[in-house]
Parts: sequence; C-alpha cells; structure tokens
Amino acid sequence: MLQTQPLVSVVILCWNRKDDVKESLTRLRGQTYKEMEVIVVDNGSTDGTIAMIEEDFPEVRLLKMPKNMGIEAYNIGFKNAKGEYIVILDDDSFPAEDAIEKMVDKFKNDEKLGIVAFDVRNYFSYDETNKKVEEKKNTSAAIQNYLMAFNGAGAGARKDVIEQVGFYPEEFFLYWNEQDLSFRVLDAGYKIEFFSDIVSYHKYSPANRASWRAPFYYTRNAFWLLWKNYPMTMVIPITFRLIYLVFYYSLEQYTTVYLKAMFSAIFNIKQIKDKRKPVKKYIAENLRIPFDVSFTFYR
Amino acid sequence: MCHLPFIDRWGKVKKLLIIRSVSFQQLDNNLKAIKDKFPEHEIHLLTHEHGRKLAEKYKGIKQIWIYPYKEGFGYSRKCQELENEHFDVVIVPCTNLSGTGFINVFLFSLSIHVKERYKCNLISEIKAFSKVQVMFWWIRSQIFKIISLFLSGIIGIMGFGVFFLCKGLGQLKTRK
Repeated sequence: MLQTQPLVSVVILCWNRKDDVKESLTRLRGQTYKEMEVIVVDNGSTDGTIAMIEEDFPEVRLLKMPKNMGIEAYNIGFKNAKGEYIVILDDDSFPAEDAIEKMVDKFKNDEKLGIVAFDVRNYFSYDETNKKVEEKKNTSAAIQNYLMAFNGAGAGARKDVIEQVGFYPEEFFLYWNEQDLSFRVLDAGYKIEFFSDIVSYHKYSPANRASWRAPFYYTRNAFWLLWKNYPMTMVIPITFRLIYLVFYYSLEQYTTVYLKAMFSAIFNIKQIKDKRKPVKKYIAENLRIPFDVSFTFYR
Repeated sequence: MCHLPFIDRWGKVKKLLIIRSVSFQQLDNNLKAIKDKFPEHEIHLLTHEHGRKLAEKYKGIKQIWIYPYKEGFGYSRKCQELENEHFDVVIVPCTNLSGTGFINVFLFSLSIHVKERYKCNLISEIKAFSKVQVMFWWIRSQIFKIISLFLSGIIGIMGFGVFFLCKGLGQLKTRK
C-alpha cells in the first residue's frame, strides 16, 4: 500500500531579484520530494519578477505585497502555507535536489525536532570546495555544550510549532529574526539541529549590500532581541555591554551608524511593547548569540 | 588540480591554519583563493564545535581543530590543543573589506606559534599583517575601550536617572 507523504510548503520572500527567483523556482521543480507547494511572497518588486512568475511558474502561489514589508511578508506566507512542514528560503537561495526529502525524514524520525537547519553554502563555490557527504553517515551537527539558531536562507520548520510560538518578529524588518524565533522554539521544548547532508545554496554576495543596512538593523535588533527574550538579570549587564560595544565600534570604524541604530532601538521601544517574554535561563545562557557580529559588516 | 604538500629544505611540511571567523558561505569562496595563494601548504582549520561536521566536508583539509568555547575567538580564550603546534601561515577571514571588527581574532592569532599572518576579506583579497601591527591595533583599541567605558557609564547614569525620575513623578501623580 502506498503511504501518503506529508505536504511541504516552500515559502520564498522576494524583492527585485527576478533572475535569482527564476533560478530558485526552476531548481525547486527538480526536487526529489514531490508533495510540495511553493509560495512566493513578493515584497513590491518593480523589476518584472511578478510577471515572470505568473508567466513561467503557474504552479506557484504568488502573494503580492503593496510595498517592501521586510520579514513581515514571510509571516503572511507562513499563514497561507497548507503544509505540515515549511521550508524557508531567501529569493537568492534554493535547496539541493534531495534536501527536502531528507528534511522530511529527519522530522519523521524525531518528533521533538522543531527546526531543521540546512547547511547554507555558497552557490558559486560549494561544489568545487566540498566533498559529497557519505550516505548513511550520522550527519547531525548537534553539539554538547551550547545551542544554535538557524539560517533563514535554508531551513525547515514544523508549521504547528512556529504557529504555536509565533512566527518571525515583524518589527525587526530584517536580521536577527531567526534568533528571535529560535528562542521561542527552544523555550517551547523543541530542538533546532543542523544536518551536514541537507544543503541550501545561497548566492552569497555581501559586496553588493547597501553598507548601512546590515550594521543598522543588526545593531538595533540586537537590543530588541535582548530586551524581548532574556531574563531581567541578564538584560541589564548585556544592555550595558551592547552600549559599550556601540561606542567602541563607532570609534573604531569612524561611523555613526551604530549610534543611530542604538537610539532607534531606544526611541522606538514601543514597537516591542507587550512582546517581551523571557525564556528559561538555561536557554538564554546557552543559545549562542554572537552580538559582536553586528559590528563586523561596516566597511 | 591536486598539489602535494610542500616540504621545505629541512624536510618539514608547510602548514597553514585558517581561523574560521566567518560563515561557511564566505569561507567556501575564501578557501579557493587561499588554496590558490598557498598551493603547497597543508591546510588546517580551527572552528567552533558547531562547525565541525560542516567543515569535515571540505576537500583537502588535513586537520580540523575545535575551539572549545561558545564565545568568539579572543586572546584570553586560548586553544590549549594548539599550544604545541607550529604553523607557517595563519589566516583570519573577515566579513568586510578592511578587517575592522576583527581585532579579537587578530589578537587570538598571537596565541598561535606562526611565522606569517594574513587576513582574507569578503572578496578574498589576502593581505599580510604583522605582530607589530596587531600590537598597534591593540593599543588603539585600549584607548577606544577607555572612552567607550566612560561614555557608556554616562549613558547608564542618565538612563537610571530618567528611570527613577519617571518613577518618582508617577508616584507624585498617584498621591495627588
């Protein structure tokens, strides 16, 4: 008797990356796992992305946003997903052809697994620099001493789990959103695990990023991530450390972007009003949040 | 192209250590450039525990060393396993063009026995840096640290002041 496979919803957020989206959607057609729906949430693209999807990919459910709403648009995709599992992708990333099949297997084998973190790699050079992972090898990258979040350019989530704990933090707009969701998934008693045989290809091109965007949102959201999720005994010392780092890196890099981000976090604190829900101390102490990373993108 | 490890005139294999201070996405790119620049070196990689399984997939890596801390690389958090190792080259990849924000990793590189140090930026440009340069950056960073501590202290005092003032005013209003 044939066993029915669970439906997987692939949710892609896009904004003015027509060629990349086209390639991602084409690659998704080649997945070995077939019980799949693809949802593209367009954040107000003006480069012909919408017309291209409508014409070339009639099987895709296209949700059109009136403007760029940042990661809030992901949440609209998640709400519309009908699948038991959701695959989260960027508009310039796509999973390896067997990734979704392997992801479903991992979820089936472990009911406490809330998020499968894909090994997100460089589209341009991964195949050249890496070996293929041996079949039947234990590919879990689980660690003993601390906990890890995941990368939003390739991850699988149980829909009921992220629905239960709440999706991405809309007020973040972009960056640190995966870590915010990770806090809540872990706090609800689920695991987040990396697997080396589940690969997502990402057209990693930081050279083309606007130079202010990453440092600004990383820094502002670092404060909000802290204030929303950490117990008060940790909030005060880490806030002081963050303020110190803002001054330090402003001096080191001769920029005001970190100061602007810090004041934005303080003056717009209303945006996280009523959203504070401290996680268990064990999780706050053990989830690896490298706050210093916020200060490494300015050049 | 396959290269055999280079053996110098004393019969020793040339060893290169990469400190994984960037994402694997960036390192995938950097690694190509590093192999091109140092084709005859035996490559070692130092990574946090969570990176072990993912690093094992790289072709042509002689040994993976594990950094035994949750926190980022720092001079005060030395890697004991590397204490008796000697390298010819150490490479610090950086996520920006200049290497700013990576002083901790540069300082950590001083805890490793090595002849030459290089940084490799996000577009895979590889540039040498010396121990003296790191010491200069360290002195500069100490000055920035003092100023930053002073400024964050002022912000902290002001923050507490505003907090207690608001609290006081709130109580006053309630009494009225």
